Amino acid sequence: MKILTTVKKVVDVELNMHVKDGALVEDGMQYVTNAWDENAVETASQLKENNGAETTLVSIGGGDNTDIIRRCYAMGIENGIHVDDPALEKADSSIYAKVLQKVYEAGDYDLVITGKQAQDTDSGQTGIILAEYLGLPCVSNVIALEVIDDQHIKVSRSGDTGTEIVELTLPAVISVDVSINEPRLPQMRGIMMAKKKKITEMDLAALGTSADEVGADAPKSEIIEFMASQSRQAGQKFEGDAAEITAKVVDLLANEAKVI
Amino acid sequence: MAKVLVVAEIKQGVLKSSTPELLSKARAIGASTAVVAIGSNIESLVPELAGAGSDTQYIADDPGLELFSAGPVAACVVDAARQFGASLIWFGFSESSKAVAPRVAAQLDAACATEINDISLNGDQIEVIRPAITNKVMQRVKVNTEKLVAVVRAGAFEATEGISGTENVVKLSPPEMDLKALVREILTDASGEIDLADADIVVSVGRGAKDQAGIDLVRGLADDLHAGFGSSRAMVDGGFMAHNKQVGQTGKIVAPTLYMAIGISGAIQHLAGMSGSKVILAVNKDPEAPIFNVADYGIVGDLFEVVPILQEEIRKIKAKQ
Ligand SMILES: Cc1cc2nc3c(=O)[nH]c(=O)nc-3n(C[C@H](O)[C@H](O)[C@H](O)COP(=O)(O)OP(=O)(O)OC[C@H]3O[C@@H](n4cnc5c(N)ncnc54)[C@H](O)[C@@H]3O)c2cc1C
Repeated sequence: MKILTTVKKVVDVELNMHVKDGALVEDGMQYVTNAWDENAVETASQLKENNGAETTLVSIGGGDNTDIIRRCYAMGIENGIHVDDPALEKADSSIYAKVLQKVYEAGDYDLVITGKQAQDTDSGQTGIILAEYLGLPCVSNVIALEVIDDQHIKVSRSGDTGTEIVELTLPAVISVDVSINEPRLPQMRGIMMAKKKKITEMDLAALGTSADEVGADAPKSEIIEFMASQSRQAGQKFEGDAAEITAKVVDLLANEAKVI
Repeated sequence: MAKVLVVAEIKQGVLKSSTPELLSKARAIGASTAVVAIGSNIESLVPELAGAGSDTQYIADDPGLELFSAGPVAACVVDAARQFGASLIWFGFSESSKAVAPRVAAQLDAACATEINDISLNGDQIEVIRPAITNKVMQRVKVNTEKLVAVVRAGAFEATEGISGTENVVKLSPPEMDLKALVREILTDASGEIDLADADIVVSVGRGAKDQAGIDLVRGLADDLHAGFGSSRAMVDGGFMAHNKQVGQTGKIVAPTLYMAIGISGAIQHLAGMSGSKVILAVNKDPEAPIFNVADYGIVGDLFEVVPILQEEIRKIKAKQ
């Protein structure tokens, strides 16, 4: 089984974000691996260990992604492709999906594993659109995976009314949720070995395509402005005797907020 | 004139509140409206769909659509969108919508925007507002295509009182099943539970409740209030709560009148799922817990002590009302 996992470099969401003149203030930002992609990488590594899968990752954009990709190598991924091109600066999900389509077609993959969304956009579309472009079956929001045989896997998807059990015929695309596994922490030995591994760097031309073909010169949508979130104000906080303050709060819920 | 197709949200045969909300918004922007309803045994919903504000009802009613499968559902939406000539295709916020919307967009070569809070039309120019980076910022996004497929966040639009549409049913032919992604079964949780997405009050439990006994205590409070019972991710990961009870960025996005966070710290990923609530009450023993930064009312205390008092005081107030 040949697996392609996608890994995106994203801004660290735990830090404070500032907006100035409609743009994000880049100063002081830090960049990390998208959390859901770490679960995708872990899923791929487990399939390598338990089922002899061959693992490749692809990362698009982000400038210097060496650290991110090396970290994934240390987590068990064998090959890494980094596609970057000035034309991709304003890429939306469908452009990413077109680039991934090119990467997919250049390999001979059985399973594409993406994180279910990226922490910088929170869009959750790329993997699903990729599957449409490739005409492959796709299940999103996957929380468990089991290999049936060379051609079939069984996945659990967290859906609206419960857990959906879906049998997929490979090749297929899945997007995984954080609850599918606990991504391993890279170990010293893996980190040392990762330093020696090569990363295949490509621009769109090297990938055999162009800005025009992937739609990069005419994005379907573009972010024109960032704005600060309207954050809630802290209200009244009560400390002291539990019976007293709880009675007070219930009174406020009933008579001030009028919600009970 | 813009043409809005709303994808009806139907769960266990019941039409959910997102459908009238989205149709109201569509009418408010002066669009012509249609709805597409997909499922098994749903034809009886037609009067309700028209009453919610649609002037055409595309109905895909087939036993094969009983279990949710994204491929066939997308095919029905695309079919309806083409027949109607829709420029805007709107979904309510759900896991199903998030799986279907990008497929529809790809098939119609349309732009796709998920988790939108607002939409504006200026002539032909469509713009949406949506949160990003775990709700830390908002984005204004310009749509460059004629068509937009959008998933709208819970609580973004309000249903207008007193609107209604007209009945005009168009039956869709049943879609082909997705044989390469066969849905074997759906393991549903306890039925009869109040759906988090449209509960008026939601009570959520966090790691502070420690174990099953703690969860049962908090569940008692939810039951007393006839509230939806949700959870932070910590309790889902701990195996105590079902995955679809999780409130937050990776789970349900809720916007009830009252949200009670019991033993929840208030991580940004949790806040992303509930900060649209009208009133927030937090119970936490740590006075510095970030949940207090968003709570209208905060009780600093041990939940094992506070929850029974809450129940008792609520009972007293209810008896007086
Ligand atoms: C990509 C990603 C997605 C995520 N998505 C979600 C999501 O959708 N939803 C979500 O909830 N989380 C999500 N998380 C996890 C999130 O970051 C937090 O880890 C999680 O919300 C913590 O849950 P908690 O508040 O219950 O637990 P903790 O953070 O451990 O908080 C427990 C709280 O209980 C309090 N407490 C302890 N004992 C008592 C007591 N006896 N009485 C009163 N208070 C007590 C403590 O003071 C503490 O504040 C996500 C994380 C990542 C990385």
